[in-house]
Formats: sequence, structure tokens, C-alpha cells
Amino acid sequence: MEYFLQQLINGLTLGSVYGLIAIGYTMVYGIIGMINFAHGDIFMVGAFVALIAFILFALTSIALPIILILVLLIAMVFTACYGWTVEKLAYKPLRKSFRLAPLISALGMSIVLQNYVQAAQGARIKTLQPVIQGGFNFFKDSSFVVTLSYLQIFIVLVTIVLMAVFTLLITRTALGRAQRACEQDRTMTALMGINVDRTISMTFIIGSSLASVAGVMFVMYYGVIDFYIGFLAGIKAFTAAVLGGIGSIPGAMLGGLLIGLIETFWSGYISIEYKDIAAFTTLVIVLIFFPTGFLGKPDIEKV
Amino acid sequence: MSNTLLDVQNLTMKFGGLVAIDDLSFSAKKDQITSIIGPNGAGKTTVFNCLTGFYKATAGSMYLNKDNNKMDLKKFSDFKVAQKAGVARTFQNIRLFPQMSVLENMMVAQHNKLMVASGFSILGLINSRSFLQKEKEAVKISKYWLDIIGLTNRADDNAGDLPYGDQRKLEIVRAMCIDPHLLCLDEPAAGLNAKESAELNKLLKFIKNDKKTGILLIEHDMSVVMGISDHVVVLNYGKKIFEGTAKETKNSPEVIEAYLGTED
Amino acid sequence: MGKDLIQKSVKDSLFTGIIALALFGPIVGLRTVAKNEVLVVEPKWLVVLLIVIFCAVGRFFINIYTFKKEQRRGESSSLGKAIAHFLDEKGAQIAIGAIAFSIIFPFMPFADRYWMDIAIMMMTYIMLGWGLNIVIGLAGLLDLGYVAFYAVGAYSYALFAIHFGWSFWICLPIAGLFAGMFGILLGFPVLRLRGDYLAIVTLAFGEMIRILLLNWYELTKGPDGLTGIPRPSFFGLPFKRYPDEGVETFHTFFGLEYDPMQRIIFLYYLILILALITNAFTIKIRKLPVGRAWEALREDEIACKSLGVNPRNTKLTAFAVGAMFGGFAGSFFATRQAFISPESFTFIESAIIVAIVVLGGMGSQTGVVLSTIFLIGLIEVFRDFESYRMVAFGGAMVLIMIFRPRGILAKRKPTITMGKHG
Repeated sequence: MEYFLQQLINGLTLGSVYGLIAIGYTMVYGIIGMINFAHGDIFMVGAFVALIAFILFALTSIALPIILILVLLIAMVFTACYGWTVEKLAYKPLRKSFRLAPLISALGMSIVLQNYVQAAQGARIKTLQPVIQGGFNFFKDSSFVVTLSYLQIFIVLVTIVLMAVFTLLITRTALGRAQRACEQDRTMTALMGINVDRTISMTFIIGSSLASVAGVMFVMYYGVIDFYIGFLAGIKAFTAAVLGGIGSIPGAMLGGLLIGLIETFWSGYISIEYKDIAAFTTLVIVLIFFPTGFLGKPDIEKV
Repeated sequence: MSNTLLDVQNLTMKFGGLVAIDDLSFSAKKDQITSIIGPNGAGKTTVFNCLTGFYKATAGSMYLNKDNNKMDLKKFSDFKVAQKAGVARTFQNIRLFPQMSVLENMMVAQHNKLMVASGFSILGLINSRSFLQKEKEAVKISKYWLDIIGLTNRADDNAGDLPYGDQRKLEIVRAMCIDPHLLCLDEPAAGLNAKESAELNKLLKFIKNDKKTGILLIEHDMSVVMGISDHVVVLNYGKKIFEGTAKETKNSPEVIEAYLGTED
Repeated sequence: MGKDLIQKSVKDSLFTGIIALALFGPIVGLRTVAKNEVLVVEPKWLVVLLIVIFCAVGRFFINIYTFKKEQRRGESSSLGKAIAHFLDEKGAQIAIGAIAFSIIFPFMPFADRYWMDIAIMMMTYIMLGWGLNIVIGLAGLLDLGYVAFYAVGAYSYALFAIHFGWSFWICLPIAGLFAGMFGILLGFPVLRLRGDYLAIVTLAFGEMIRILLLNWYELTKGPDGLTGIPRPSFFGLPFKRYPDEGVETFHTFFGLEYDPMQRIIFLYYLILILALITNAFTIKIRKLPVGRAWEALREDEIACKSLGVNPRNTKLTAFAVGAMFGGFAGSFFATRQAFISPESFTFIESAIIVAIVVLGGMGSQTGVVLSTIFLIGLIEVFRDFESYRMVAFGGAMVLIMIFRPRGILAKRKPTITMGKHG
């Protein structure tokens, strides 16, 4: 029971990270109908920016809460630049190309980002000293002590806050309306006088900043990163997006939590070596038997 | 009723809460052109999609009389309707293989018999004589149809490069290459000029009279519908509101109301 | 007009410079280095400055160039078109010339060990490219896990050869068959998925196979890999300097001096023959009904269904045949290396093969050869710059998609013509 509770806490934390990345996939898929293969690597860039920022701030005497806010902001801004540039360079010229072209271009971009970070930052694993330590302990009398760390609380709280802000953004603002309009019909939206290019750019900027927040959390939670983390995290987050129903933002968050839970329970109860297989198997099963996910719209083939 | 080719009873198709076809019954006879008409959104294409297995009908029955064998079309899914029951169709927005040549388009339509002839590729790989013979026959059939629509000299050009009207005709004769019992045409005259639709009428009459193939036709162009239909079924909001000959249809008050609306 | 343009370009390039600073500032400018097991930041501002200036100036010239190009639109003819046209005209002669060249290649004066190794590697990629061309180029199924079949071929070859001691010529077809069966097994559930979903699922399958190979220690020795895979022999004559007592070897049988190059040359011819068989098979099957159905499915699946073509079976054959050739190439890889480990079968290998097919021009056999020479050449030239070469490689993929999304050779020839039959 205690063990189960611990896995649940860990799973929800991990799930928050996946959920934030998954939003980027789902938004981009919703608006331009492509899988942004490089999104996992954008997340990785965010983690690196956060790492660098943390190291620099460690030299100063700024209070921890301010450091956290600053790192989040810095990571969001710099990573958003990457998202924006990737879209402009690799996807925008291909909007009218044949259907596999953007996917292959994204694949190329993913290879570029990985190896660029490897070249610039080195191939070695980077370790960060714990930023937030300590936490609450439960069931101190039993054989298994359940820990809920302050860091886990921080991660879940930030995710909830971001989700709330983000939901408001989509449902209440002109930008959100423009995005939803673009999802329905891009040509028509352009005819209504909405700048479609800018809306798509904004989608990438928002998606990338959310991914960078996930990167900040990842580097704080695991304390180790390398240039390759984006690949696996990307696939898992994509699985989350599909599981929740691709195109649906609450679905992405829900899917993220589920994938996080599946992964931690699988490693906790079945086998840690095959923990990535759990995510892949989920992906395959969901896509084959359940392609619309939980909150996705059914996709009727137009004949 | 051995003269009946297609018998549809109580066909219903629902998408969630939306009823696209509501308890529709009609039949089509052999060697006849049966037209399905109705305002936009009346559910005509949905009927086709149910018949040809692209959608699974919510309720009702569809039987095809194939050489006096009663075939239940509901049992077949998409490609099997064409393969096993011999129901061919065309599409509202033409679906050719645009990057393939006109002749290749015709050959793909004869895929199943050529596949058997090629011994599922094994005889084909070793250049077996019987396969080459069958392939030659298939080309001959293609040429026969291309001659009829006057496209033989463009046989080696990409289908996507043909003018619009020729693409329409090509799609029809390509469907004829599967040797169908029933040919379903979804707005074949859409976008054609007067001369082209006159040619289309001729082609469809030829298919009906000389090829003895029953035709089910969705059409908005009344000159086509009235000119060649033997039987007309009128749909509105997924329901059949009238059935009769072309002449009866033209004078039916229900049909006029559906198209033009009521006074008040 | 001109002044306006320059003003706009300057503004634009300043903006580009700012973006470049944001992009490269933290990642390139602040390199994290471990000192005494603690990470510290090592600034590299000069590099960033150079990159930023390069981007800004580059943007400026691109702006001016594209403006000029817009003025004389229609005049320029693309190089790709010219090459494609040339290859169209002289296709047959070039193919014969290329085959002749590859036959005499080992006896060229410059063909030393280094060149032979590169030639063998390129030939392996060409064969893989031709195999995957069936799946991606003809059937239009974006398979991002092709390396899985390569791995299945390599491992099944290695296991059969090690444990049963069977010869190369027995193990090769078995390995191909195994890979083909795997193709059917994987393809069966996934082939009804839409293009991009299919891509992700095949990618996942590729990774699953690799994880399985890493962790199934009893069978695959995990990360240690399989060693001692028997080398191929020339119809039973091994390539060994000191053979076992009473065993005839290749050099003693032909009365030659022992030379390690003999084995290399033999391997070269082996992969050449395997690749040419793949090519001949593809060219032939494309003209059969099944090949035509593959291309038709790539063009329009719904139309195919309406004509009674069974999409699943047709796709499955493409998947299985492609997988089989991947398996053949895998067995060759295993016998050449005499050692295989999961490290050789990472996702990046799949990406390279996909890039070869796509750059070549989907479905074009000659295109695969050209793009292999280009891409593998690119990776070789940048050999000493480890990760920069992959940056260049990924960048090339993006650029190709932008400027020639249909590949170098985009023109396709009909599989059957009326002229010949009518």
C-alpha cells in the first residue's frame, strides 16, 4: 500500500512533465496537422538552458524563489526562440508540400538539434546539484516510508498554474480564437483577416515554452541530462498526446498523467529494464485500437 | 422480381445523433439507369458510401442480385464490395491515380484478375507466358474502353495531366474495367460543359444498353437526369419523398416543394 | 526602390542577428564543463559573435539575392531538372557504365583498404535504400523503423551461424525469411494507420527491438554483442592465412599469395551481387500487378478500395519484401563485421536510410545510388568533426525537403505503355 502510494506520487510528477510536452504536440497537430518531431528536442534545449541558468544563478546570492521564477522565464524565452525558428526554417516553406515532407523535415531538424547541442555542450552527462531539497514523510512507523518532496509539490503546482493560464488563453483571448479558427479552416481564417502565419508562430512559441518548463522540471527532478533526453521524452509525450486524443489540450494533460503513471508502475512492479517498452507498447496499442484517444474527436473518413 | 438488380430496404445511417439516411427503401432494375436526386445534404452520397462498404449502415438491408444469386452487401467491407459483389463506383471529387499513366489506371482496375494470372507475382517474376498473355488481354480491354472515350492517344500520359472532363470519363471507364454488375456514379456531370455532358449521356447509355450494366446515378444536372434516367428516386433530409419515372418526377409537387420551398 | 530594399534588408538582418544571439548565446556561448565533479560555465563569446555576424550578414545577402531572383523569375532552370533530364536520356548507358565501374572498382590502383571499406559501406546502404524504396518510394509507407529488420537479419544470421555452424549461403535466406516474417508480424496490426501515425509506430517498433536486443542477455549477450560470427567462405574455401590442418583455403586453392585484401574484395563482390539482385527484383516487381497496386495505394487508397484492391494485403507484401531485403543486408553486415551489438541498430540508421530514399526521389532506383554517394560521402568528409557531420546531415534533410521535396530524380516512368502493346 505504502509502496503503491509512493509510485502514485512519482507517477503524477513524471506525468506532469510529459503532459506539458504533450501540449506542444497536440497544439501543433491541431493547427497544421503535422507531428512536430523536433518537439522532444526543443524540450531538451529547454532543459539545457535551465541547467546553464541554474549554474549561473548558483554563483549569485539571489533568494531561491526568485531564482526559480527567473530560470522558468529565461528557459521559456530562449526555448521559444528555438521553437519559432524551427517553424520558420523547416516547416513554413513546406505547408503546401506533399504530406510526408514536413515529417521528414522535422526528422532532420531533430537530428540537427540533438547533434548541435552535443557539439556545443559536449556528449557527457550533465549533473545538477539538487535545487530544492527535503519533503514530507508519511507512514514513518511502517517498513516503507512514503516521501512527498517539496520539489514534487512544486512541479505539480507549476503544472496546474500553467494549465489554468493556458486554458484561459485558449478559451478567452483573441489569439485562442484565432488558433481554434485555424484548426478548422486555415484558408477561411485568412480570408477573415486573421494573420495565419502569426497564429501558427504563436502556437509554436507557446508549445515550446511549455516544453521548456517541462525541461526545467526534468533537470531539477532527475538532476541529470544529456543531449539525447529529447528523443525518448518526445515519443512518450507524443504517446500521451495520442492517448488523450490528439488535438485536445485537456486530453494531452490527461494522457501525460496516464503515461507517467504507466511508466512508474511498470518500473515499480514489473521491470525497470523494459520501462521504455511500456511507453512504446502503450503507443502501439492506443494507435491501433484507440486512435481517437480519450477526448479526441472521431475521425470519419471523408469519401 | 428477377429483374431487380439492387434491393434496398429500410436503410438507416446515423452519425452520432445526426440521421443522414432515414428508413430508405428503393430498388434498381437491371439494364436501367436509376437516378438518386435531391437537394444538397439530402444524404445521396451517404447512400453510396453505405452501398459500397465505406460506411457501415446502422440498420436496414441491401441485396444485390448477381446472376440470380442474392448477395447481402452488408456482409462486405469496402474493397470486397468491388471484388466479390461487382459493385463499382466513382467519386464526387475525382479519384484517379494522378501520378500514374492513363493505361496504368486502367490496369490497376483489373488488379484482382491480373494478380491471379501472375500467380501472386511468382509466375510474373519468371515472365511466365500465361501471365504475359493475360497482361496483353488486359491491355486490350483498356484500349477498348479508351477508344470509346477517345483517350487512346493519351494512354501513356499521367492521368493527373488530363483535362477535367477527360478525367471524369476516365474514372467511369476505369470503374467499368472491374467488370461490374452495378455501376454507381457520384455526380459524373459536375463541372462538365454542355458538349461534354452530352457525350457523357452517350457513354452511360452505351454502358446500359450494350454492356448490360445497371447504373445508379447521383446527379444535379437535370439535363442528364431527365435525358437518360429510367427511374428516379428523390431524397430530402435522408428520406425518400418520391419515386417514379423522370417525367412523373418533373411534375411531382413534393419534388418541386423540396427544391423550391413552400410559399409560406 | 533600391534604397528601400537595403533599408528593409538591414532591419531584417539586425532582427536575424538578435534571434541568432538568443539561439546561440546560451547553448554555444555558455558551455558547461565539469571541473572537480562540479559543473561550471565556460564562456565562448567569440564563437557566438562570429555566428551572429554570419547569420546577420547571410540574411542580408539572401534578402538581396531573392529580390533579384524575383525580378527575373522564370529564367532560371534548376540543376536538378537538368540532371534528371540527362539521366532520363542516357539512363541505360549510365546504368551499364556504373555497373561496369563497380565491377572493376577493386582493381583500380587507388582502391586500397580505406576505399574498399567505404565502397562496401556505400553498397550496403544502397542495398538498404533499394529495399526501403519498395516500402517508402513505391508503397508510400513511411517506415522509420527499417533498421529493426536489418537487426533481425543480422542477429538471426549470427545466431544460426554461431549455434548451428551453418554456412553463409544457408543462413542468408533464413535470415531474409525471418526478417520478412517479422515484417508481416509488425505490419499486420499497424498498416491501416494513417501516414504519420504509421511513421511513429514503426519508429517505436524499431526502438522496441533494440531494447529487446539490449536486455535479452541469454540470447543476444545484450550490450556485449555477439562475437565470433563465422566469416563467409568462397564456395567452402575460407579466407585464412593459417588454415587448420588439411583444409584448403582460397589462396592455396588458387595458388595465390595470402593477402587480407582477397577477403575484402570477396565481400565487396558479395554485397554488389546482393544489391544488384535487390535492384533487379524491384525493377521487375514494379511492373507486375502487385507493384502497380503499391503505387496506386500511394496515390489514393480510397480509389484502390473502390476498384477491389485489398489494401492491407498489398501493403503487407510491400512491407514484407522490404523487410526481407533489409534482412539480407543485415546478414551481410553480420558476416562482414564478425561482431554485432545493438549499438549498430539505432534510430539514426533508420533516419539515414529514409534520407537516402527521400533525397533520391521516391521510387527512383538511380536516385538511391546518387543520394547514397552524396549523403554517405557527406558523412565521410566530415568524419573528423563527429557531431558536426550529423548536424550537416540533418540540415541536408531539411534543405532537400524545402528545395526539392520530390528528391533528385522525381520523374517516374510508366510501368507499362500502350506504345509497346497497342
